[in-house]
Amino acid sequence: MKIAVCIKRVPDMDVKFKIAASGTAVDETGLKFDMSDFDGYAAEAALQINEKLGGGEITAICLGPDTVGETLRKALSMGIDKAVQLKCDAVPFDGYAIAQALAAELKGGNYDLILFGRMSIDSSNQSVGPMVAELLGLPCVTAASRLDVSAKTSGTAQRELEGASETVSFPLPAVVSIDEGVARPRYPSLKGIMAAKKKPLEVKPAQLGAATVTVTRMELPPERNAGRIIGEGPDTVPELVRLLQTEAKVL
Amino acid sequence: MEQMTAGNFVFAAILLGAAGFFSYNAQRLARYLQFGKGAETSRVTEMPTRLRNLLVIGFAQSKILRDPLAGPLHAGVFWGFLVLTVGSIEILLQGVINGFSYDAFLPKPVFALYTLSQELFALLVLGAVSVLIWRRLVTKPKRLQGPGTHQAEAVFILSMIAGLMVTLLLMFGFASARQHGMEPGLHPVGGLIGRAFGGLSDGAQFAGFAINWWAHALLLLVFLNFLPYSKHLHVLTSLINTFFSNTSGPGTKGAMKPMDLEAEGVEIFGAKDIEQLSWKNLLDGYSCTECGRCTAACPANLTGKLLSPRKIVVDTRARLLEKAPLLVAREENAAPVAHAAHGDGDAHGHTATGEHVAVAAPDPAIEALLGKSLLDHYITEEELWACTSCRACVQECPVSIDQLEIINEMRRNLVLTESRFPEELLPAFEGMEQKGNPWSFAPGDRAAWAEGLEIPTMAELAASNDTPDILFWVGCMGSFDDRAKKVTVAFARILKAAGVKFAILGQEEACHGDPARRMGNEYLYQVLAKAAVETLNGYKVTTIVTHCPHCFHQIGKEFPQWGGTYEVIHHSEYLERLLREGRVPMDEGDGERLVVAYHDSCYLGRYNDVIDAPRETIRRALPIVDLVEPARTKDRGLCCGAGGGRMWMEEKAGKRINVERTEELLATGADTIAVACPFCMTMIADGVTAKGATADVLDLAELVAGRLAPEATASAS
Ligand code: SF4
Ligand code: SF4
Repeated sequence: MKIAVCIKRVPDMDVKFKIAASGTAVDETGLKFDMSDFDGYAAEAALQINEKLGGGEITAICLGPDTVGETLRKALSMGIDKAVQLKCDAVPFDGYAIAQALAAELKGGNYDLILFGRMSIDSSNQSVGPMVAELLGLPCVTAASRLDVSAKTSGTAQRELEGASETVSFPLPAVVSIDEGVARPRYPSLKGIMAAKKKPLEVKPAQLGAATVTVTRMELPPERNAGRIIGEGPDTVPELVRLLQTEAKVL
Repeated sequence: MEQMTAGNFVFAAILLGAAGFFSYNAQRLARYLQFGKGAETSRVTEMPTRLRNLLVIGFAQSKILRDPLAGPLHAGVFWGFLVLTVGSIEILLQGVINGFSYDAFLPKPVFALYTLSQELFALLVLGAVSVLIWRRLVTKPKRLQGPGTHQAEAVFILSMIAGLMVTLLLMFGFASARQHGMEPGLHPVGGLIGRAFGGLSDGAQFAGFAINWWAHALLLLVFLNFLPYSKHLHVLTSLINTFFSNTSGPGTKGAMKPMDLEAEGVEIFGAKDIEQLSWKNLLDGYSCTECGRCTAACPANLTGKLLSPRKIVVDTRARLLEKAPLLVAREENAAPVAHAAHGDGDAHGHTATGEHVAVAAPDPAIEALLGKSLLDHYITEEELWACTSCRACVQECPVSIDQLEIINEMRRNLVLTESRFPEELLPAFEGMEQKGNPWSFAPGDRAAWAEGLEIPTMAELAASNDTPDILFWVGCMGSFDDRAKKVTVAFARILKAAGVKFAILGQEEACHGDPARRMGNEYLYQVLAKAAVETLNGYKVTTIVTHCPHCFHQIGKEFPQWGGTYEVIHHSEYLERLLREGRVPMDEGDGERLVVAYHDSCYLGRYNDVIDAPRETIRRALPIVDLVEPARTKDRGLCCGAGGGRMWMEEKAGKRINVERTEELLATGADTIAVACPFCMTMIADGVTAKGATADVLDLAELVAGRLAPEATASAS
């Protein structure tokens, strides 16, 4: 099976962000970057499908400046066969602009399956996958928490809904965006890391579409008020309950 | 000297055969060692240390003697063997040269001493061996049971030694009887036995002598040739092994071997089978006596885990002896053989020169054996992950075997080549990689404990062209763990009160990767260690103090592998020094009379010989303390259970190690348990809670900080 996995390089979200001088982006100094979480699940899903079916080829595609090379190498060290960097100076905020660049790359690739993470954990737009499907005229399943592809012609996926789940089937080729739950991404072995150094990484200019949406201002959420300690021990419970009712109004 | 008799000729032939067979085996075993292709450093460095090890651990049996009963018995047999070997040579020469005796060369008093030594040591060995047989058959100590032991073989060998001694003594007896006690030299024992044979005819006496001489000499040759086939191979290799071993130095005790991760063409990282171990690891296999001292001290084994360090070593030997002969056969078959018959398809190949080469069809049974591996087929993942890297096994081994190195090499294989490890380790690896600490705490909070304490960072000092006297390396536990942060603050307060000019790295500090290394992830470790060295070298740091023994060991003992050489001091030693020099303003009074039991951290005591300083710190901080010692203490202290990455793994099998250790500490009657390691702190404090006990668990820094003079406390906070 020929599979493409589209991945994004995102900052580690567990830090205190600062706004860059431009006022429209985060300050990237000191930030650590890695593959977006859901994209890791997508990469793992692709690897498992080809391991089950035997043979095949998986290509990881990432759009961005040269720093994304590191993210692509990580995908290769997991066992993905080849990588393509769609080079541009900065990743635009507009998902449609990105989707056009990806679609242009994917179009002639003869892929049986194109996988995305459900969303990128930095911008959380959930839009690029479906837009690519639309641009390529392919069926699209979003947020699959299970994916079964055992034949070259069709597959089934399970989607989690509020309190229920649904199973959908679709013909191939198709675009599927992956939710967590598929399978935890494997930890690259040193063997994989070494092998990744020898795998092909192709760099092509990104054919970005015109950006229609731009960020005009970015600001940090207001500081939370400091907590209050009312006292200690069971005697303080009535006071706590009173405050929760009158001040916080949560009871 | 008389002419050679027919007996001499027969014996010479036998001797030649025995020597030939022995050297065949010696060469065979030496050749097997060459299959160990794992990286190895030179083992002929630092000769004085090696010779000292050979003398002290080898000849003087210092490690054997750590066992108060079996120790002297074994040492007796060993020394007896050394002495009796001189006599054995005389006997073998007698076999070839009729009437040979040292008497002809030695001055009378020396010869007398020689004969006396032979008789007395024969008696000594016989006595010791009898007790050892009794022990094997009747008292059966636990450490001699279990996987990796060969009971019957052990008794057989011991009986053979007893047989050697009995024939030797009878020989002395008959010799004495024949010469009516007038034989040259001193023969108190032979004389005594000889009296019993006094009534026999001359012919019977001669026959008695001859029978025992032959029995002794033949038994000796059989014994020598049986050794290579038994665990008593150690008789031949243990001294060699002790000489080549690094477990008591040379080199840095307890430092793990660095791996070359850039090496071209390496397919297998770490050890999956004997080929990836080093020749020294394989020699360890030959040298194991199966005594079980290691397993008896292993915290994992003691608490019912599958791991037994003895089994690790015995399995290594067993796999080597299974696989190496097949490899030898394959090598020999692969040598081109001129073949007369014309090729008919698959069974024959052609070399470049066109000659026929026999390609033996692979034998499925042999292929199956070759396809097995030490990992999985002998040693399981479960065993390997149970190890706390406490080094108790290495410490106890009388023949200086490094069980832990085999375990570590196999863990490396699991992680680096196979990506197989307990799932709990994944977050730890990712945390170290992405957040610079194994718990994924936000790196921005690393110095949160220091807020308001006015402690400068290295960056701040560097900005004003200043350098501190010491860098306080806080460590991940000390930076993020709520309990350990109290220790960090206590230690910082003492430093301030003592007027020490110190700084921290603040947000620039990140995990040095030691947990990753101990868990087998050498790749991640090297990334982190090299980054830390770069940071430290960037500030030209010279002296580092830390309250974490793992940081202490890693930075002090393993960073030199990456070009980081600093004086690294553990806070127990630093506190002791400050107190000794009177630099800490302490409360004048005697304070409370606490009953304190100190728990030795493995990475301080066994790894780095820091044993007295923590105790001295306690005594100086609490002048009227009642310092008590648990049953297992100092370099024999029992691990808390957190080392070797066990901190991040669940402990499902058997009893919890920390509970076992806490029980032992509580049994001293202590009201306070002192620790000098944030990991031990967690484990022992959990143990105390689990036991529902009330003892306080305090770090040394807290004991000292609690006794700071009131003014010092006021000014330092
Ligand atoms: S290092 Fe400690 S836990 Fe590991 S095998 Fe040796 S004694 Fe057991
Ligand atoms: S490894 Fe050492 S301590 Fe352990 S059984 Fe063998 S000889 Fe004894």
